[in-house]
Order: sequence, then structure tokens, then C-alpha cells
Amino acid sequence: MLTVAPPDAIELRCNSTFQALMWALSRPGDARVMPEAGLAGIAETLVDLECTVFADTPDLREAVSASGALVTGDVSRADHVFLSSLENAADQIVQLRCGSPLYPDDGATLIVAARHAGQRLRLSGPGIEEPTEISLDAPPAFWAMRAMLCAYPEGFDCFFVDAGSVIGIPRSTKVEVL
Amino acid sequence: MSLASLTKDWAATSYGFLDASAKRELRRKMLKAIAVPGCQMPYASREVPMARGWGTGGLQVTLTLVNPASTVKVIDQGADDGVNAASIRRFISRVSGAAETWDTLSASIVQSRHRVPEEVMREDQILVLQVPNPEPLRGVEPNMSIARQMHADADYGKLWLTLYEQIVRKGRIMQGAAYPSMVNGRHVMTPSPIPRWDVPKLNMAKHLTFLSAGREKRLFAVPPFTRVEPLVFSDRPYQVEEHAHLTCRRSGLSGYFMNEIPQDNGGSTFEVSDSNLGIKAIQKAEGAPTEIGETWYRDGEYSA
Repeated sequence: MLTVAPPDAIELRCNSTFQALMWALSRPGDARVMPEAGLAGIAETLVDLECTVFADTPDLREAVSASGALVTGDVSRADHVFLSSLENAADQIVQLRCGSPLYPDDGATLIVAARHAGQRLRLSGPGIEEPTEISLDAPPAFWAMRAMLCAYPEGFDCFFVDAGSVIGIPRSTKVEVL
Repeated sequence: MSLASLTKDWAATSYGFLDASAKRELRRKMLKAIAVPGCQMPYASREVPMARGWGTGGLQVTLTLVNPASTVKVIDQGADDGVNAASIRRFISRVSGAAETWDTLSASIVQSRHRVPEEVMREDQILVLQVPNPEPLRGVEPNMSIARQMHADADYGKLWLTLYEQIVRKGRIMQGAAYPSMVNGRHVMTPSPIPRWDVPKLNMAKHLTFLSAGREKRLFAVPPFTRVEPLVFSDRPYQVEEHAHLTCRRSGLSGYFMNEIPQDNGGSTFEVSDSNLGIKAIQKAEGAPTEIGETWYRDGEYSA
């Protein structure tokens, strides 16, 4: 009889983090709890040597390079972009990869630390039964730029991380700044 | 950085059979699939100890999702006790320690071949459909590069044409399973070979659906509360199979999708296809405490 290999701590953490990310993206605007606060846990869950990653702080770059991913300084080459803040990040956002009509999956995943408070937003689209309102500390300029860059099905998908809590906004979501 | 920090301790097997890098690749693709509902995302499709075409795509998604707290239900044409379903369920629980169940209500992950359970799935449940042919355009465009371009252009005229030809030739739409359906108003997907009966269950559903084709190496998803509209002409309404008047010979249930059992005298009898629903109905009739959840169809009419 085969014995079950018990899950190690990393496996349990990644599985639980992924469940949080998956449900966060399936129900945009719904905050999900991750087992560990911060962006490093998401890097551990999603990123490995098949990825090209941009990260804007030395700590994050170290966490990402430990996974074997190629760390790049060029956002337009990165498939995963980790930002510690959306302040003064316009130069990076405008370079985000949005995929192509043939390969929408080439669009980047943006993971950014942002408080789940502040600017009111109204969300509608797949995953949302009735248009919902949430608070997210991202400048209106970011949403304007997102609307300009994301021509569905092209676009990028965002995770907003506030400590251990994550909100997902996929490219399919329509965001109104209130 | 030291050698110890770059390596891991030896282990006989990986938890959940798939190795960590295979899971990370699937996770990335599953997130992209959710972000673009109904759009087929290519993935590597690793080897699993089962032949391609027997549910390897669904199995890989389930193995990525599963953890020791999961409860897994696997069905094959609605039945939990088919050889394929039983083998997959036992394999998943052996490599992950997840609990097994036949009951849709107690499952956290439902892996299915060709059916969606009759009981309404909740918002915390995940449906994983095994897909043999993920490309709705395969029948009209064998060249997959051109089919990809057609998806990019939302050029689905040829699919409408096949439906039109069926109406012209036979007087009605003959597409019995894998009915092409528009997801989120943009991508047409084939909802795997589920009968027409099951397609409305995916529209604006509470649960999350993954559709994964292991042999064809593509997966796509239908997030909760996403529009899934079967392609129909405005003067030809969508029709599900006429099973509303049929009665199951074993459980006495009626108004659900039935399996036809041919008889020696040339006639046929019927059994409810969602076998565990039939089992629960029999247990209830015998007085055992059984909970039957709300069903998508009531008296043969879709009513969710």
C-alpha cells in the first residue's frame, strides 16, 4: 500500500496562498486571506525558473531570485511584476505586457502592495453578481492607464496585497472610479 | 546563498503526485484562465500514471488544488462507481490524503467527465471538467493556428453555419453534447461533452469551473457569475434534451437527465444519470436520514 507523502510546510503554504489568489481573482473585489503577509509568499507560489520577473525593491528581488526566476529591470519583458507601491509607478505600469489577441495569456500579472482603503471603486464583470463597491488605495491615474492598456482580451491582471489580505482585479473586470 | 538553501531534503514522492514546478505552471495558467473566461490557455500537461484522454487534464487541475482538508468527488457520465471515476478518486485520495465522497453536497472539488451534478453547487465548490477536445472550431477549422486567429478575431461565423446546416437538414439542432457556448460575450468554448441539459448550469453559476484537456494541453475556466450563452438563433430557442417526462426505474425520480437502458423487447427503460442523486432518493424512500440538495432542474424545468 502506498503511503501518502505528507505535505511539507512550503506545499501547504503555496496551496493555501494559491486558493486565496484563485478565489480573489474569481470574485473580483472580495478580499481573501493568505497564510503569510506580503508579496514574497505570492512569488513563492507562482514564480519559478520559467518566469521573468520585475521587482522594485531589493528584498523582493532577492526573494524572487531564490525561486530561480530571471530578474529583469525591464518591465516590458516581465511576466510577473512586483511593486511595493503604486506611487510614482506610472513609468512601470505603462510598460506592462498585455499579451496579444492570439495569446492573451502573455499578459503580465501585477502584484502590488496597496491598502484596502481610500479610493472608492465600483466593479462589475465576470465573478461579480451585482456591481460592488470597494476601497482600494490606488490613484485614479492607475485606473485610467489600465483602461487604456487593457483592450479585452488583452490586458494585465492585478493582485492588491494589504498585509495578509489580497484583492484580485482581472482584466475582465470593469472598474469605475467613484 | 548556500547549497543547502538551493536544495530540498530528499523525499520519495511529491505531495499530490505532481512536482512543485508542475503545480506552479498550472497555477499561473489557471489564474490566466480565470482572468479571460472561456479562452483556452496552453499548458505543459505533465505525465500522470494514466493514459492521455482518460481525464489527465482534469486530474492535473485537481492535484494542483487538492490539500489534506479537501473532499473529492469524481464522476463519469454521472456515476461515482464507474471504473474510470473510482480509479481517479482513489488515486487522488492516495497521493493527497484528501477525503473521498459520492455526495455532491459534501465535496469541495468535483471532478467530472461528461456531466454536471444535478444538485446546485455552492460558491465554495470547484467543478473540474475533463475535456477531450477543447477547440470548438476543430470541426470547421482543422488548422489550429488558423483557429487561434479566429478566436482572436472573435470570428465564429462557421459555428453558426454548422448550426444552421443542422436546422436545414434535420429541422432542428442536432448538436447533442459539447454545445458551443459564448463565454462572457467574447470567447466561444466547448463546455466539454456535457449534454445540452447541463450547459445552463454553467451560466451565472455560484461555483468556479475549470475545464482541462490533458491530451490537447489546454485549459480554460468559467468563473462564478459569468455569462455562458449557448449559440442559438433568435427564432430557434435553446432546447435541452426531452427528459422531463422520463422516470427512473430504480429510484422513481423524474425530471432529471436520464440514461437510456435498451431492453430485449426493443423498448427501453431509464435510470437517472446522476447516480448518487438516485441513491439518495432510494435511501430517503427507505426512511434513512438523507439530505438532497436543491437541484438546478425542478420537474424537468430549469429554474435556477
